[in-house]
This record gives sequence, structure tokens and C-alpha cells, in this order.
Amino acid sequence: MLSQRSHTQFKLTWRPWSLQTGPVCFRATAPAVSQPRVQEPAGPRACQTRAVHSDEAQIQTTSTTTSSTQTEPQDQTSEQPLQQNHQPGPPDLKDFLQRIEETVITELVKNARGHAFDGFQANWGDHSQLVSCLHRLQHPIAQERDLHVTSVSWTCTGSVIACAYGRIDEGHWGTERSYLCTWNLNSQSLRPRQADLVIDVHTAITVLSCHPEKPALIAGGLYSGEVVIWDTSRTQDPVLALTGMSADSHREPIYQVAWVPLQEKGEFGVLSAGSGGRVLLWTVDSEQGRLVLKSAYALIQQQLPHNSSISLKAPGSSNVGVTSLALSVWDPDTFLVGSEGGLLLRCSFSSKTPAAVSTKDQTVTLRAPAVFSFRPHSGPVHSIHCSPFHRNLFVSAGTDGLAHLHSMLQPNPLMSLRVSETYVFQVEWSPTRPLVFAAATGQGEVQIFDLGRRSLRPVATIGQGTARQAATCLAFNRQSSHLLAVGNMDGTVGVWELSADLTEQNPRERSQLEQIANQVAE
Amino acid sequence: MLTHSRIQGQKGVQGIIIVNSEGIPIKTTLDNSSTVQYAGLIHQLVMKARSTVRDIDPQNDLTFMRVRSKKNEIMIAPDKDYFLIVIQNPSD
Repeated sequence: MLSQRSHTQFKLTWRPWSLQTGPVCFRATAPAVSQPRVQEPAGPRACQTRAVHSDEAQIQTTSTTTSSTQTEPQDQTSEQPLQQNHQPGPPDLKDFLQRIEETVITELVKNARGHAFDGFQANWGDHSQLVSCLHRLQHPIAQERDLHVTSVSWTCTGSVIACAYGRIDEGHWGTERSYLCTWNLNSQSLRPRQADLVIDVHTAITVLSCHPEKPALIAGGLYSGEVVIWDTSRTQDPVLALTGMSADSHREPIYQVAWVPLQEKGEFGVLSAGSGGRVLLWTVDSEQGRLVLKSAYALIQQQLPHNSSISLKAPGSSNVGVTSLALSVWDPDTFLVGSEGGLLLRCSFSSKTPAAVSTKDQTVTLRAPAVFSFRPHSGPVHSIHCSPFHRNLFVSAGTDGLAHLHSMLQPNPLMSLRVSETYVFQVEWSPTRPLVFAAATGQGEVQIFDLGRRSLRPVATIGQGTARQAATCLAFNRQSSHLLAVGNMDGTVGVWELSADLTEQNPRERSQLEQIANQVAE
Repeated sequence: MLTHSRIQGQKGVQGIIIVNSEGIPIKTTLDNSSTVQYAGLIHQLVMKARSTVRDIDPQNDLTFMRVRSKKNEIMIAPDKDYFLIVIQNPSD
């Protein structure tokens, strides 16, 4: 129906309406005024819809039943074909298999019984049989000031090594300035006595860790309790983010930092642990230049899990000072903590128990993460490392001179190896050989152990044994697996090349490691 | 299939893959990603080996192929329409 607007008054008469509309027209009678009339196009206009049929119906259930189904476990056959199990496949496939079956089985049997290839090894590369020192890197200024190398770390590309200088022995050296030096070992102009990059730091750096994906980022923990992230690609001010001194941060020296993959893909957070008994997880806010606290964990003596076979001696304070930390590649929720008192604990990121400590000024509630307690060492635990080849194994070492091989499943160690007569500062598993790990000792040597050998003596020893040159830290290079960096107390960093038998995996190693791990007592 | 289980039951056999003439896996006992990887790479290798044999002597042809590596051995039985790939670790 059209409606018209105009200044004149129209009197409209309507036709009676029905669904089936015929041609619609209406008359408008206007008063006899000569006004401009809106002209309508002549001719009838019509619209017509087809007949719409409608109907109503109702239903009601008169009877109800319930039934359910349940799947039964299917018999697991050894075949898991890509297509459905029930299709027999094209007929000529069967013929083909019948034809070649005998030949293949003969060959398989011959292979299993034959000795043709026993002891045969192809010589694809230059297999060096010796362990040799490739470079000895020094920073003369640090050496003049008698600083020790406290930490070494390789970047994710494997070509740059970052070294931190500070002091190992605690005490009044905390206010000394220290240095972070990097050398690029793959560059032509490598000068062992001059670092490519030197960053001055106002206090002693205790620990370093390079970002697992971005080669320019290095996280460091300081003696003052701050966590710093340096960006070595920046020329102006390499400090990317700082924790600063707030109620949230550590007050005591930090002994370990590690990069932790966060829930968001590709993002990493920094986990720091110090002798104040706190383990803090920070996220990096690079615009503001700050590290923002994401989760906080506090280890309190009273909240530690007690296992029946272990008696925990209570040290003086109720805080459990953390001296080492390890993340597990296999289980993103687990981390391991070693303490000043020799305690070795397995902790969980997702623990919800609040820590029994006063939480004034804390922005994030502290949680108690400890879930399981292993047999304690008789001295501070300096280093823990989880095996990259087996989810349950890890090695730990401390001041008692022993390296203990633990399984996550039981409190007592599987094996204890005598590494040195004095402190062991760091242990690390080899990234390529499942049975090999290296330990840096206070006697100045790095001992490399191979669990596949029957004797428990080290399979190789690196370095000279003088107490002045105590090996304080070591790092395997994951990209060039034959390189091992060792930092010494005299301020030098040795880059060693390992022999082929220390870096190339044997075919049976993984199963041997599996056997060792399965020695867990019932 | 019966033939499958006879071969699978031999000492040290880690996996069996049947690939058609275009390199597409038809049946397998390994996981999907390894199967696809093996099928694609081995198909190319077998084609190259076969053309090598025939170039040296056109009357000759490839009947069987074994690739021995440090950790295991891959055996390939070629045919007009299919390949059978068996991965065995003989020292297991």
C-alpha cells in the first residue's frame, strides 16, 4: 500500500483486503484545488503471492525408553594401517606380498644372525681421537682484579659464548664491579685476550643463562638479588629489563636463572632462585624495561614433604636457601631444587598451597612448591641437571665431591660416583650421548664419566689439577656438540674440543640408559 | 594380514611400510609422521637406485635394496606397483 505525503489532504478509500490481492489501486479524491499532484504511473500494479497452506499438528510421546552403549577395549593387533583395518586392500597387493614375503624373511633372518658388519664403522668425518684445548679466553682487566669466572653459557646458535666474572667465594666481594664478556668463536677475528663485547655490571654476576631462541638475549642473576636481562644487539644500553629492588624481588644472591617456556607459544619467562629461599618466575616487559613477577614460590622448612626414610635436619633459619635449580624438558610442570643444607626437592609449578610466610607487600601470593624430597646431600647442592634422554633421570652434585644419579621415582640415588676430593661445582649431561656427563671440580679438572663403561672412573679428564685453577662452571655446546666450555677460578675460559667417542652416540646407549633408570627399587 | 605378522614377528623388526608406485603409503605399522617421512624419502632413493642399475646395464634391474646405518637397517623390496619397506635393528 502506498502512502503519500503531500500538502494537500487526501481522502483515501481502501478496497477490502485479502491475502489474495488483486490489482491494487486506490482513489484519492482531492479537494478542488489546483495543486501539483504527484503523478502515479498509470496502470494497475499487482502483487500476488502464491497460496500459503498452513496446518497445525501436535505429537506427544506415549512411551519412553532409555538405552546406552559402551565401547569395549578393542583387541590391539600389531597392525595399525593408515586406512581402515577391514579393507583387505587391492587384490594385487596380496599377490605382491605373497611374492616377496619369502625373500624378505630370508634377508631379515640373515641379518639377525649375520656378523658381517660387526665392528664395522664408516668414517664419514675427521674423527679426532684427542681432547684438545681450542681456545683459552681471557679478559685481562678481570684477571688483574682477580675475578673468577662464575658462569658460562652458549647462545642458542652455538657460536657465541658469554662469560660472567665475579667471585665464587662469598663474603665481602658483593659490591665489586664485574663484567659480562662475549666472544664469537666462529668469527675470523677471534682474539682470545680481547672480548668482542664487554658489559660492565655494578655488582658481581653469579649466574648466566642465554635465551633458547633469541641469540641476543642473556639473563643474569646478580649478587644483590636482582635479575637482569641484557640484549647484546643493542649498542646504547644493553640492559633490556631489570627486576629492581622491590618487595617482590630477591634480597639475597641469586644462584640460578633459567628460561622457562610459558603457556603462550614462543614466550619465555625467567625463573630465578636465590639463597633467600624464593623461586620467582618473571615475565619480560621490554617496553618498560622491567621484569614483572608472574608466580612466586617460597621454600619453608616446615612445609617440606617428609619421606619416612629420611630425617631432615633443621638448619638455623626456616628459609631453605636455594643453591641450584633444574628444569625438566620432559615435564613442563616439574622443577628440581637443591639447597644450601643439602636438600634435594622436586617441585611443581602448579602447586596451590600457599607458603607459610608473611606476605605483606607482595603483589603475587607465594606458594609452596615442594612435592617430593630426595635423600639429602651432606653439603650444599651446587648443581642439578635433568637428562635430556630420559624423563626420570637427573644428576646432582655438591660439596661432598660425589655425583649422584637419581631417578625421580625414588628418594635414594641410583648411583653415586666419586668425582673429586673437593667440591664439585657443576654437572651437566652431554647433549648427544645419553650415558655421558661432565663434572667441574674444585681441583681444577673437569671429569667426564661414561655410564656405559663398567668401571666408575672418569673416561676423560680435562685440565690441569691445580687448586688455583678450580673449574667453576662448564657448558656443553648444543649446536657443535664437540665443544665444551670450562670457566676457571683464575679468570680464564677454556674451550675444549671433545673426541669423537665422547660425542657420538652408540646404537645401544638409549637402551642402556633405560636399563639404568629401571633399577628403581620397589 | 598374515604376511604382515610373519614379517613383523622376525627378530628386531621395528616397522613395515607398504608404498604404492607413486610413493604414497598404503599400509604401515609406524606412526603417521614417520611413515610419511620414510615413504617420501625412500621412494626417491629407490627410483635413483633403479635408474643407476639400469643405466649401467639396460638388461639389468633392481631386485632388492638394503641401506645399513649405524642404528638400523632399511630393506626395500621393489615391484611394479608397490614397495615393501622393512626397518630392522639387527642387534636388538
